[in-house]
Amino acid sequence: MTTTIPHSGGAVDLDGVASPLGVSGPSRTDPRGRTLWRAVFRQPLAALSIGYLLLVVLAAITADYLAPYDPSDVDLNQILSGPTAGHWLGTDSLGRDVLSRLMFGGRLSMAHAAIAVATFLLIGVSWGLIAGFFGGWANRVFTWLIDVIIAIPALVVLLVVLSVFDGDMTIAMVALGILAAPGFARVVRGVTLGVREELYVSAARVFGIPNRHIVVKHILPRVAGPILVHASLFAGGALLIDAGLAYLGFGPQPPTPTWGGMIIEASAVVSRQPWLLVPPGVTLGLATLALALLGDAIRDAGAERTGRAPARGSRPGPSGSMRSSTASRPARAQATDALLSVRDVSISLSLDGRQVQVVAGVDLDIRAGETVGLVGESGCGKSVLGSAILGLLPAAGKVTSGSIVYDGIDLASSGPRTMQGLRGSGIALIAQDPIAGLDPVYTAGQQVDELVRRHQGGSRKAVRARSLDLLNDVRLPDPIGVAGRYPHELSGGMAQRVAIAMALAGEPSLLIADEPTTALDVTVQSEILQLLRRLQRDRGMAIMLITHDWGVVAEMCQRAHVMYAGHIVESCSASEMFDHPSHPYTLGLLGSMPRRSLPGRPLPAIPGVVPTPGSWPGGCHFAPRCDFAMPECTEAPIPMLDAGAGHGVRCIRYEDIRGSSR
Amino acid sequence: MTERILEVRDLRVQFEGRRRGDRPVLAVDDVSLHVDDGETLGLVGESGSGKSTIGNAVLGLVRPTRGQVLFRGADITSVTSGQRRALGQQLQVIFQDPYSSLNPSRTIGSTLAEPLRIVRRASRRDAAAQVEHVLAQVGMATDTFHRFPREFSGGQRQRIAIARALVLGPKLIICDEPTSALDLSVQAQILNLLLDLQRRLGLSYLFVSHDIDVIRHMSHRVAVLSKGSIVEQGPTDEVTGSPSHAYTRALLAAVPVPDPRVRSV
Ligand SMILES: Nc1ncnc2c1ncn2[C@@H]1O[C@H](COP(=O)(O)OP(=O)(O)OP(=O)(O)O)[C@@H](O)[C@H]1O
Ligand code: SF4
Ligand SMILES: [Mg+2]
Repeated sequence: MTTTIPHSGGAVDLDGVASPLGVSGPSRTDPRGRTLWRAVFRQPLAALSIGYLLLVVLAAITADYLAPYDPSDVDLNQILSGPTAGHWLGTDSLGRDVLSRLMFGGRLSMAHAAIAVATFLLIGVSWGLIAGFFGGWANRVFTWLIDVIIAIPALVVLLVVLSVFDGDMTIAMVALGILAAPGFARVVRGVTLGVREELYVSAARVFGIPNRHIVVKHILPRVAGPILVHASLFAGGALLIDAGLAYLGFGPQPPTPTWGGMIIEASAVVSRQPWLLVPPGVTLGLATLALALLGDAIRDAGAERTGRAPARGSRPGPSGSMRSSTASRPARAQATDALLSVRDVSISLSLDGRQVQVVAGVDLDIRAGETVGLVGESGCGKSVLGSAILGLLPAAGKVTSGSIVYDGIDLASSGPRTMQGLRGSGIALIAQDPIAGLDPVYTAGQQVDELVRRHQGGSRKAVRARSLDLLNDVRLPDPIGVAGRYPHELSGGMAQRVAIAMALAGEPSLLIADEPTTALDVTVQSEILQLLRRLQRDRGMAIMLITHDWGVVAEMCQRAHVMYAGHIVESCSASEMFDHPSHPYTLGLLGSMPRRSLPGRPLPAIPGVVPTPGSWPGGCHFAPRCDFAMPECTEAPIPMLDAGAGHGVRCIRYEDIRGSSR
Repeated sequence: MTERILEVRDLRVQFEGRRRGDRPVLAVDDVSLHVDDGETLGLVGESGSGKSTIGNAVLGLVRPTRGQVLFRGADITSVTSGQRRALGQQLQVIFQDPYSSLNPSRTIGSTLAEPLRIVRRASRRDAAAQVEHVLAQVGMATDTFHRFPREFSGGQRQRIAIARALVLGPKLIICDEPTSALDLSVQAQILNLLLDLQRRLGLSYLFVSHDIDVIRHMSHRVAVLSKGSIVEQGPTDEVTGSPSHAYTRALLAAVPVPDPRVRSV
């Protein structure tokens, strides 16, 4: 129901990285075949498994040349010998060489498994793709068939097939593949349904690209991961079933060697020579294990690339070298009455396993009851700064220098305990995506209750009464009704009101609002902004408003700070910001608004893109995109300069720029 | 006199409920609109008002329940896949989400060459030359060809998506929130690009957006959509300057003005 308007642009989405409630943008899947294999090989167990499987297959293929004996050479002088120099893996009850039989036996066992896997893949993949891609009746037939097939007892069918076809293992294995395919087809269908909705598939359809081509070129590569996982797991199963059927007397008859057959022969003489069970048992067991491990590895690799697995290998970097080099800060008038005072704060995060500075030498103050805007585009560090104030940086993120003083306490150097105490009651947060910020399994009322209980306690009844008060305060039309609803039953605007009610539960004196209305429709946005203004007036609450919308800044804020590539580049009162913008970036950002330009005329856009952290230019971070840049701009870090009347600008040419904007 | 490139007559789209038992959703209700050659019609409305559904019905991505879509006077409401292929050379689309609109597992070159190879049956070399031409048109470097979507930022991907829309030389492009996922400064770059392409290539746009400022900047005429119906339609300055429908007025009033002096109460 809500339009999500993630304003994130760059490949590295810093504002999403540390989004405090774990709310981040849509996951960006990036499955490329080549990188999938690389990711699989990076896992040692997977590499080992692949090595073992290759070895077994090669041994079977080269058995004619490399096997030391003919698999049916009988030597009655040497029966059940155990490993010797002549027979590395010993001999069986007819004196046949176990190693040779193992190599030849692998041929049939693996061929059987391969037949089953091929059938399984052919049916499962085509069936799943068709049902998923075309939907409609194909899908209905599919669902019906699956219900039928799953109801059939597989083992019974296999035995019937074997008796009807006189023990023909090829047919039995085809049957096995068919019986196992529906579950697999269901998985393929599920993934296909998802990929079918991707916009690039729509784009291809608009071109009139034939469906067959779309399925092969666009969908198949995306389902390759799950296909490999299932094929690999099923191959292990097929090997075991092949052996199991041998145990029941089906399959190639002696003296033809198979792994299953060898196990049976060994078990007949297990009291005389237990060793005989080891070679076929271990070979088969390891093959099944290797296939299972491989399947897991592929799954992990897929998850890792789509970002669903927990990040690995993020180690804290050397913090000393990360300290920012903000030289002088001549411009800061120290606000003594500040509720929150951020001084020279630098923050680093772990990006792609490297520790990278994302916020550099930030100063800002918020007084009680004041609304301060933090403006900037995605990736400039706004949200990271907000989460640092709340003590909610991701695990590998840290404040590498500076202080964040709230009500006399330095949050940057205090422990998680202090933070925990402050969060909610001192400083509270509302996030961009209200629905994602709520727990789907509890009703709105239960979630507000939980916070009220934590902050003030009391009887169940008193808690609920206070919750309803809060829901009433955020002007929800029917507090009791809303309290009983689950998050997915709320519209975006209602969910954001509930989120605000939750933030108010601890009566905070500072509210950090991270793009609180970005995901909402304008009419709903204007209601929420009005609500925030009223709450602030009634409660004397301060608000730090993170936004990229100049309209919201103008409506809400007394002061504004513009951030660019980790720096605050301009700070002043909101009216001064609109009347006398003095940093080229502020100027460009204001000029980018269609509203300030003549319809149909080119907008005075800033060329280029925001640099990613770790690739900030030396000197002024904005220099590569700046029309005013001079050689001096890139020689040394640019300090925050005092442009008078509480106006700070991080630009050595601010006087020229101010003149030009008139 | 300018020719009518697109006409939508009494379009109605009703979706079955997503789950069994859900009530059907009337997403678009008796919508009529038209786009002339070289013109931009802005379609503005709030989330769920049916903007994208109208665009998708024109593109043949959803099936209308009733009504007609005419392209240069010919009925394209339901066409065969062969006709769709012919139409795809005239009618194209740019979507909102620059992250899902390009196949992540294929190079930009192969994505852009695909329609040329399959629809036009161009040789590999001709296709490559044409792709490089459109990439240059949208301001992307030539080495873009061999790279993958993930190597590009949102704004760059949107440029690439525009290049893909241009590759067969279309006349009408459905732009479904082409800048909603982008930063302000990047949005400005993309809007400039779209205006520039329109001027140079004589394109028509059906421009879908929830952002009235963007619509005002881009469109010659505007249609305001609410709950699946058009409540007001006309020249941009009339609709945004002296709106006659209460909903349009409410929509305009809700946009925060980027000027602290006109702060609303
Ligand atoms: N495939 C579908 N199946 C069922 N309902 C749908 C489908 N697509 C859209 N709808 C419904 O149709 C209505 C109109 O949706 P549409 O996507 O056209 O709105 P929109 O104006 O583009 O909104 P947004 O600004 O959020 O993109 C909504 O109620 C939506 O939930
Ligand atoms: S310091 Fe130089 S490069 Fe940086 S914004 Fe000012 S003029 Fe531009
Ligand atoms: Mg839409």
